[in-house]
Amino acid sequence: MGRILIVDDTLFMRTLLKNILSSGGHEIVGEAEDGDIGVNKYRELKPDLVTMDVVMPKMNGIEALKAIKSLDANAKVIMCTAVGQEQMVKLAIKSGARGYIVKPFQAPKVLEEIGNVLGA
Amino acid sequence: MAEVPAKLEKGGSWVTSRIDIGNDGITLKDPWNTSVSYRSIVDYQKRGQMVTMIVTMPDKTERTYKIASVDKVLTILTRKIIMACNAYRIMAHFMSPAIRGGVLVTDAKWEKGAIAVLKTGIWFVSQEKQISVPLKEVASLELTKRELQKKKLDVIKIDHLEGGEVVTSFILCPLSTLQVLYNFLRDATKDMDMKGSELDQLDAQTAQVAMLIYSGMDTKSIENMLNLPPEELNAVYETLLKLKLVDVVMVRKEVQLTPKGVRYITDALKPPS
Repeated sequence: MGRILIVDDTLFMRTLLKNILSSGGHEIVGEAEDGDIGVNKYRELKPDLVTMDVVMPKMNGIEALKAIKSLDANAKVIMCTAVGQEQMVKLAIKSGARGYIVKPFQAPKVLEEIGNVLGA
Repeated sequence: MAEVPAKLEKGGSWVTSRIDIGNDGITLKDPWNTSVSYRSIVDYQKRGQMVTMIVTMPDKTERTYKIASVDKVLTILTRKIIMACNAYRIMAHFMSPAIRGGVLVTDAKWEKGAIAVLKTGIWFVSQEKQISVPLKEVASLELTKRELQKKKLDVIKIDHLEGGEVVTSFILCPLSTLQVLYNFLRDATKDMDMKGSELDQLDAQTAQVAMLIYSGMDTKSIENMLNLPPEELNAVYETLLKLKLVDVVMVRKEVQLTPKGVRYITDALKPPS
């Protein structure tokens, strides 16, 4: 089980992820509604894993991912985006993302992916 | 291929028999003792180690044959049938599954093979894979673009259900063929389309509830997440049921204790004398 930081600009998605991850026994150590806040919270909380939305208003998920990786090269970040933005996958993977979740998602597969990344 | 052992069904009974998989058709031994040309097969389904073939007879009636055999035999048979049966068929590239339950399948790759649209399902057949998607399990179809070797190419994206999971697959072929295939699939799955009057009934809250159901949330979690009283959530469920967007899987009861129940609990909590 891991300590997880959720970064997503919509309250609905943060709440949904929080519910799914908590049901899988993970601890949600923090939430952030934008990339820059997510980077600061990563520095402060040192979570085991971050779920990172790609499209956010101030700092997008790819920039936030790069910033987190520059703070901690071993950071485990799973990107989370809407259908139709799959072209961001390569960029995210190249930037160090460990996995990619496409919205809408199903709880068991999300928990499986999180488990795989945490166990890696 | 020489004759191979198989079980054949007739009138509800299975008979241990043999089949001969030829280049143009299959010969079924006892109890059928008949030959079926691949061209006469209009539908084909595979469930585990059993296949069902729907065949158009010379008098235009349809006959169903069921065959059970080992994987190796069924793999060869499936390939022969899909490549030659009476179906809309194209050569294309496909990627299946590309996304499973919203999680990207990292080792997914494009496969070159045949795609056949039969009466009840779509088949993808390559050297390595044989995948069937029942049309009734197709959740959505979309013509979209996908990056391949630094080029953005037109693809068909198919979301389908597989054992309760939503799986996304992609088909890639020249645009003109792709458009024909897309129209063909749209037509074959048009029962799934939402009508304007149906869409009018889906407000933001109903859509949020549907999204949470998709994600696997139970009723209690949905009530808590959206801060909805049970009566309101029930009303949303009724809308979703009316639109045939959901099925009832369980009816949960809310109960209160009777006087007998209250006495039982009171007695149970008394310290032992």
